[in-house]
Amino acid sequence: MASIPNLNSLRQGRGRGRGLGFGNVSRPGKDQVVQGTDNDASVSRLSAVELGYLDDPYATALTPPGSATRRLPIINRGTYVRTTTIDQLVTRFLGPWSPNKQRKQIISLGAGSDTRVFRLLSSRQTPDFIYHELDFAVNTTAKIRAIRSAPELQRVLGIDSPVSGEGSPVTVSEAGDALQSPSYHVHPVDLRSLPTHSNPAAALPGVETGLPTLLISECCLVYLSPIEAQKVVSFFTEGLFGQIAPGSDGDALGHTGGAPLGLILYEPIRPNDAFGEVMVSNLAARGIQLQTLHKYASLEAQRTRFREQGFGDGQAAGDIEFIWKNWVTEEEKGRVAGLEMLDEMEEWELLARHYCIAWGWRDQAHISAFAGWKDLEAQKGG
Amino acid sequence: MSDLDRAIEQLRACRLIPESQVRELCYKARELLIEEGNVVSVDAPVTICGDIHGQFHDLMELFRVGGDVPDTNYLFMGDFVDRGFYSLESFLLLLCLKVRYPDRITLIRGNHESRQITTVYGFYDECIRKYGSANVWRYCCEVFDYLALGAIVLGASSELEPTSSTVNDTAQSNLAIADSELETEVLDSRGHVTMSTYRPRQRSSSDASTDSRNISPPRDISAAPGQVAAPSRSGAPGTGASSDGNGSAVTSRTGAVLCVHGGLSPLIDSVDKIRLIDRKQEVPHEGAMCDLLWSDPDEIEGWGLSPRGAGFLFGGDIVKQFNHLNGLSLVARAHQLVMEGYKEMFDGGIVTVWSAPNYCYRCGNVAAILELGEDASGGGTVARSNGEFGRSNGISGDNRVVSPGRRYRVFEAAAQDTRGMPAKKPVADYFL
Repeated sequence: MASIPNLNSLRQGRGRGRGLGFGNVSRPGKDQVVQGTDNDASVSRLSAVELGYLDDPYATALTPPGSATRRLPIINRGTYVRTTTIDQLVTRFLGPWSPNKQRKQIISLGAGSDTRVFRLLSSRQTPDFIYHELDFAVNTTAKIRAIRSAPELQRVLGIDSPVSGEGSPVTVSEAGDALQSPSYHVHPVDLRSLPTHSNPAAALPGVETGLPTLLISECCLVYLSPIEAQKVVSFFTEGLFGQIAPGSDGDALGHTGGAPLGLILYEPIRPNDAFGEVMVSNLAARGIQLQTLHKYASLEAQRTRFREQGFGDGQAAGDIEFIWKNWVTEEEKGRVAGLEMLDEMEEWELLARHYCIAWGWRDQAHISAFAGWKDLEAQKGG
Repeated sequence: MSDLDRAIEQLRACRLIPESQVRELCYKARELLIEEGNVVSVDAPVTICGDIHGQFHDLMELFRVGGDVPDTNYLFMGDFVDRGFYSLESFLLLLCLKVRYPDRITLIRGNHESRQITTVYGFYDECIRKYGSANVWRYCCEVFDYLALGAIVLGASSELEPTSSTVNDTAQSNLAIADSELETEVLDSRGHVTMSTYRPRQRSSSDASTDSRNISPPRDISAAPGQVAAPSRSGAPGTGASSDGNGSAVTSRTGAVLCVHGGLSPLIDSVDKIRLIDRKQEVPHEGAMCDLLWSDPDEIEGWGLSPRGAGFLFGGDIVKQFNHLNGLSLVARAHQLVMEGYKEMFDGGIVTVWSAPNYCYRCGNVAAILELGEDASGGGTVARSNGEFGRSNGISGDNRVVSPGRRYRVFEAAAQDTRGMPAKKPVADYFL
């Protein structure tokens, strides 16, 4: 789930400065709507988990108590495809666990109440990655609070005593909005403030700029203006990870020499057909603007975006319908279809065609951190 | 004013009636429906409607576009409830109208008229929310069990009467087509003709052909009626009955229209087989009754597995054969969202009619209703009956089965401000 920026401060023409950050909350009601969408995604995830679409032992702990609701079958299926597709991209990036392998790094933008880090940590013998979550302080605070009250989450982080206790590997900031541990960091940060940092590394303590790194934006950058979204990505591609990694030079293929870097996007697309137009106006009625949607309206526009933003070694995309059809095995499709009677095939296809997963990467000549992505089936065309 | 009329008035204003009145209404409706056969016979003229799904304000728009009850005869092909915010208001209004004007409105069962489906797709929750208990849901489900499974429309005209509404330039230019029958006409919600197709008058047994003149963006109409070979017997369409030789000379050439929510079943090769089903039960997970409510036509040969997990997919060959064997000219069904409101397939042998515009307040589609006119020759009239209709009433004096003239009225969702939607919509509408 993405965190959604404070839309009051983002909206143009209201006489408010934009990009002022999260402190600019002037309408608590609006803010609650935004917060509600985060809860909403965790509720959707819990629904999919409880019905057997997903296996996620941490879904309950990271869903607000008492908010469990059964979602409609198409929503459950969409949650399933979105989650398993990103899982697969992440798993292929991390590769099989083995001791003494170079560690990798994942940075999740607008992570919200996402459970992925806990699922990864518990699925690998010892952590061979560093996982960073970036979100507004209000969201990171809620998440850290959830961790503090859920022993199963603490166990995954390797703590049996309360967080921040004596000798604990985990430290939490005084405000309760930041968390540091050997493999998991939670950063309270407004993404739009990142590009303004003169010293990129200081903006996100704990990020190792030499490691092959995967950025994940699950419905996050889409809420920024196109310029802001572009700057946030550039902050990583050029700022934080732009420096020449020790012992490597630029090569003939134009690799910059910065660490291998990949990006996964999950966002709506195709705003210009009947469904898309209704989507835009329905969300606008709720005060939600998908600001980059029209700029990156098609799969082709997404691929171009990756190319132009420095992910020169690969750019691929597929809508959720394509991925359901082509990535999910027949056996698994049968299992999922058997969970609930889905009486909405046309609606499912309509909905699923309006969300895409796009992924792109840059490697280094001698490190192929994204080799696992090369044989994935992507969708052609727009 | 009777209690029933008062209830209708109240429901038309989108206000619910008391639980005790719902119980009484459902009891009366059941008494009425129990007398109907599995396949109800309906005389043209009739307006055929597809899924409603609790979109009450759009149902009001449908009545505005199609004419009010009882002035217009309606046949609703199921899926009254679930998904929309006003399943109760929509279904109870339709039920009131059914009880008040039993011969003017026909309701057949959709796959959502089921206990199991309504607990997943919203109607059950709506009943709890609006009435505080599951009682009303239970009364409604008992009515669902008595709804007919299909309907046969008889006496439809093969030729469309000219639209009485606004004649625009296009319609005038149509007059230039001499010696041809208006076969299909599409009108927007203001009554403007947006598309017409014609076929030459069939004076001889020569093959019909279609002169299609698209005025609006092309639609999937390539209907070439009459290509379906004529059945060799002459019983009343849809009955499987053979001619009793009553010698009625002037009869309708138009084949009957079978209306069913989903589609055909591999277990059903004749309309008569539908009549043999014991329908008064919850929709089963499989079998003929399930298939009728769940199946979809598809561009395949023969039968295929349905991705819905119930019912089957069936191809054009199946439709052609079924229509031929049963003296049908058309199968009208609902069940599938169609962005353009209606979709004819297989040379016009089957049509999907979808009557929930901007489905789930999200899909951006338009809706349609299908009007079948009355055969002006008067030969095809069969008294409407709620049970088995007179089988000796052979009405086909000609071996040719001609498809009926079809007038589609396409309409959009009721205006936002009149729809009265809750300001805060369920947030899971989209993935955020």
